[in-house]
Amino acid sequence: MKLKLKKVFTNWKVILLLIFLVLAIFSMRPQILGNDGVTIRSVAQNSSAANAGIENPSAKVVPVAKEKIISINGKKIIDLVDYYAELNQLAVNRSVRIETNRDIYNIRTTQEANLGLTVYNAPTSNIRKGLDLEGGTRVLLKPEEKISDEDLELTIDNLKERLNVYGLSDIVIRAASDLRGDKFILIEIAGVTEDEVKELLSKQGKFEAKIGNETVFYGGKNDITYVCRSADCSGINPNVGCSGSDGGYACQFFFAITLSPAAAERQADLTRNLKVLTEENEGYLSDDIVLLLDDIEVDRLRIGASLKGRATTDIQISGSGVGRTQEEAVTDSLQNMKKLQTVIITGSLPVKLEVVKMDTISPSLGKEFLNNVLLVGLLVILSVVTVVVARYRKIKVVVPMILTLLSEIVLILGFAALVGWNLDLAAIAGIIIVVGTGVDHLIIITDETLMGELIYDWKKKIKNAMFIVIGAYLTTMAGMLPLLWAGAGLLKGFALTTIAGISFGVLIARPAFAAVIEILLKE
Amino acid sequence: MKSKIKSIYEHKYKSLLFIPFVVLILAFVQIGTQYSVTGDFVNKGISLKGGSTITIDYDAKINLDELESFLSNQFPLADFSIRTISSAGRTTSIAIDSDAQENDEIDILLGVIKEHTKLNDDAYTVETMGSSLGDSFFKQTAIALLIAFFLMGIVVLIYFRTIVPSMAVILAAFSDIVVTLAIFNLTGIKLSTAGIAAFLMLIGYSVDTDILLSTRLLKRKGEIMSKVYGAMKTGLTMSTTTLSAVFVALIFVQSDVIKQIMIILFIGLLVDILMTWIQNVGILRLYLEKKKR
Repeated sequence: MKLKLKKVFTNWKVILLLIFLVLAIFSMRPQILGNDGVTIRSVAQNSSAANAGIENPSAKVVPVAKEKIISINGKKIIDLVDYYAELNQLAVNRSVRIETNRDIYNIRTTQEANLGLTVYNAPTSNIRKGLDLEGGTRVLLKPEEKISDEDLELTIDNLKERLNVYGLSDIVIRAASDLRGDKFILIEIAGVTEDEVKELLSKQGKFEAKIGNETVFYGGKNDITYVCRSADCSGINPNVGCSGSDGGYACQFFFAITLSPAAAERQADLTRNLKVLTEENEGYLSDDIVLLLDDIEVDRLRIGASLKGRATTDIQISGSGVGRTQEEAVTDSLQNMKKLQTVIITGSLPVKLEVVKMDTISPSLGKEFLNNVLLVGLLVILSVVTVVVARYRKIKVVVPMILTLLSEIVLILGFAALVGWNLDLAAIAGIIIVVGTGVDHLIIITDETLMGELIYDWKKKIKNAMFIVIGAYLTTMAGMLPLLWAGAGLLKGFALTTIAGISFGVLIARPAFAAVIEILLKE
Repeated sequence: MKSKIKSIYEHKYKSLLFIPFVVLILAFVQIGTQYSVTGDFVNKGISLKGGSTITIDYDAKINLDELESFLSNQFPLADFSIRTISSAGRTTSIAIDSDAQENDEIDILLGVIKEHTKLNDDAYTVETMGSSLGDSFFKQTAIALLIAFFLMGIVVLIYFRTIVPSMAVILAAFSDIVVTLAIFNLTGIKLSTAGIAAFLMLIGYSVDTDILLSTRLLKRKGEIMSKVYGAMKTGLTMSTTTLSAVFVALIFVQSDVIKQIMIILFIGLLVDILMTWIQNVGILRLYLEKKKR
């Protein structure tokens, strides 16, 4: 027996399976040592937390690595209950010391019991839970007229920009299309109520530039006919460049825009009566031009003195970015530039969007679902074990079968964590299905090797079994592929988990099982 | 008794073939009747027809009939239907379906429901689907189903390289889906987008058993009936494990979405037993007999 076990673990198919399993567990990074703390989901702009330097988390960071609060004023924070208990005690204009896994921040409160942070219990692994399990809002938008792919991308950028303005960064916005070629935009925001999303979407996306409370121009093609994005008229300002010292660097960016004649006239009217101030050998006008998105100020720029009273259609917009090194400063500048360009180009959305589907799931219900699904998963595995034990009654068969099934589940979950999929109910249904077909194929493989005709050639037996398995695999794939696009990809999660699951199964887990069976049962 | 059944199965397979075909014809009759009466060949739920579903936690104090008539009185033009969702024998939630699609309509409806049932502020779920999207989704997944069948046919033909057995596999899968659809219609449950996905899954499961059977009969040596019984042993083990898994999930799961998938799979797997072991076996035996001559 010992000899057989040694053979099992030195077989290349088994080793391959084990390598993938390790990779899967690594990408999931289950927090077995405890997940104390509350993770920051978003930081509201101009809030006391933002002013203290806490950054809005980037969507690209994996859940386990996101910044989380571990203590407030020295008191350890384990979960949301602790957090809110501490938060509710905070009065206005107090100093609060917040320690996260990255840094320590000293915040001066500007409101009672509100730091401008939304938080959630620190995740136990890198698996991202979809809306159905976490609660949140999902909206499917359809442009009211046909638009090009480029315009669709612009709309998506604009929506992202606006959502970031509101401090929401844990969001998924993507383009989707269905089999008919219709285009959609899918927005999924976790942990946010329906009201907040409706408020966001009902706004037209008003962009304005004002000088001294009068509007100079609005965003969109009417007032701004061209925004330069190419290297010859945008980028880091070659005349000013970057400057700085060991304390920090700053760079200046610029990009050219062209106003419509009407907008140029308005600008001339509004600047005619302004005074000129001179600062560091440059002349600026006494009022700034303020850029507003949905009535919230996004930027404020000085107006060059040469523009006073002149109706010029060609204008240069400049701004700056900072960083600790020159490289950081350059990156920051270019990012600010892109942000500004997006806001100006698409000041109002290029096309009106219609809400064709909206789902709101409350977080408490989401958690209930998750617990229920885990329970059902366990019961399903138990029922499969029962039938298999009743039929085969051989430990050498039953144990490898159960281990193979469990491996398949681990592989799918690891893959989902790696790729950053959100697991929703449909995806979980997909996992249940994969376990179902997994069992079927393992039974086929087992029976081919145990029964059948008197072939002593094991290679041939396994080959026969895999013939059937692969045939079934290809047909199921054929069934799942159209689902990737059908109906604006609403069942995409289901199709993807099923395709990934059966592929991992057929290519890695089940051949390993066949090898193990061969070694253990060969006399 | 057992030997009598065995004898009928072994010798009277040509007459036994009538059963699956009669069932298939009855299924077509059901679907045809459904179509002429309702205009659709399946009962469409909110996600396919358009409308909204508000789901709240079940409270025994709420009288469902009274709630439904109260809502119908308040909003006489809307089309309401209330159903319950249960898990492990216990009712866990109440689902209120209506054809309200606009956000403001739904808000008003939600407000009324909250007040009437003294609901906790955020213990509810709302799902809306615009009717044009639901419609296009339904049509597209129907197309997806056809494409799946077509691709499956190609795969099977490449595998077996003979027409009759390949057609038998496709016929079995096709019958499986049609009969399951008819039975599903009879339950009165309304089909959702997830349910359509379940039908696509059914193709996969159905094909598993048919390819197993065909491979064993065509590509192995030995006496026909022993091959059939061998394949049956494997095939029934497969069906039993999947059926028990699906059955357990069906009873214990709380989610409406997963429940519907499991119901369709459960019915489909049972129908598959009929179609594989009587219809497919019958056709293959006829084919092999003709080949011998």
